[in-house]
Amino acid sequence: MNMMAVRFGLRVHAARAVTRNPSRALGIGAARSLSSDSDFSGVNERTLVAVKPDGVQRRLIGEVIKRFEQRGFRLVGLKMLQAPDKLLAQHYVSLQKKPFYSSLLYYMTSGPIVAMVWEGHNVVKTSRMMVGDTDPAAAAPGTIRGDFSVHISRNVVHASDSVEGAQREISLWFHRSELVDWEGCDHKNIYHL
Amino acid sequence: MSGNEERTFIAIKPDGVQRGLVGEIIKRFEQKGFKLVAMKLIQADEDLLRQHYSDLKDRPFFPGLVSYMSAGPVVAMVWEGFNVIKTGRVMLGETNPIDSKPGTIRGDFCVQVGRNIIHGSDSVESANTEINLWFKPDEICDYTKCQESWINS
Repeated sequence: MNMMAVRFGLRVHAARAVTRNPSRALGIGAARSLSSDSDFSGVNERTLVAVKPDGVQRRLIGEVIKRFEQRGFRLVGLKMLQAPDKLLAQHYVSLQKKPFYSSLLYYMTSGPIVAMVWEGHNVVKTSRMMVGDTDPAAAAPGTIRGDFSVHISRNVVHASDSVEGAQREISLWFHRSELVDWEGCDHKNIYHL
Repeated sequence: MSGNEERTFIAIKPDGVQRGLVGEIIKRFEQKGFKLVAMKLIQADEDLLRQHYSDLKDRPFFPGLVSYMSAGPVVAMVWEGFNVIKTGRVMLGETNPIDSKPGTIRGDFCVQVGRNIIHGSDSVESANTEINLWFKPDEICDYTKCQESWINS
């Protein structure tokens, strides 16, 4: 009960903080969107999200997909694959000199991965928030890592960390022919631009 | 395929994708204890769909069926496990949602037969044919689930 109360308290606090955000409350974000071409083009922003082998083993694929669907993002690419070493070496090129690199590659090749491309306004930044801190101990409840992971070595999901990084990663993991453009019927109820 | 390694082809149709039910459906198969061995989002073309539904080609609803299935992307999947073909069909519910019980996918999420969200293979033979039609061999993953010995005896 104490743990439940603490957890519930944290959630309430987080919700209150969000509703107290002045720019959101005043609709400044929406106003900015109405006047900015770049914000409109942001509706087509894309990111790579991958459920790692631990997430696949632990039956979390559906849960992760459900959160992105319910948020209102559009799934434009999806596949399950046993990622080859070469692909992972390119994906993690910036971490090659880190002491944990070989252990990371071992983990990422230990089983299949579900790779996804999600599309929508500010999806790179938003998906990072939805996924939570890389270290699950610091990941907020309500985030994927906050709810489903404990240790940094097995943190369930990857999400691109920048718009440029997302473009690079999407090209690495998907052929253009594997991405599907489609019009979601909810579009007008998720955006008013 | 036999016993614990039986495989079935399951496809979430365009209405299921549009309605945001992909995660929910995958979650049900995961929670049941089946192993996902292949999956992709694909805009199926009419040629593929005509092959998939070739046994229905003389039915009056066939053109509408092909049109509906090519109206948007499909999530195609291969699930593996003990009796997965029969069990998958039970999990989906009756083809006509009016006859589908609550707790089944169609019973919980469908209203009309023309928009029944999901396809599941109806026999071992059709499962093999459908899997080969929708997936290349290298798109199917071979791995051991850590819970295997706690799902099957």
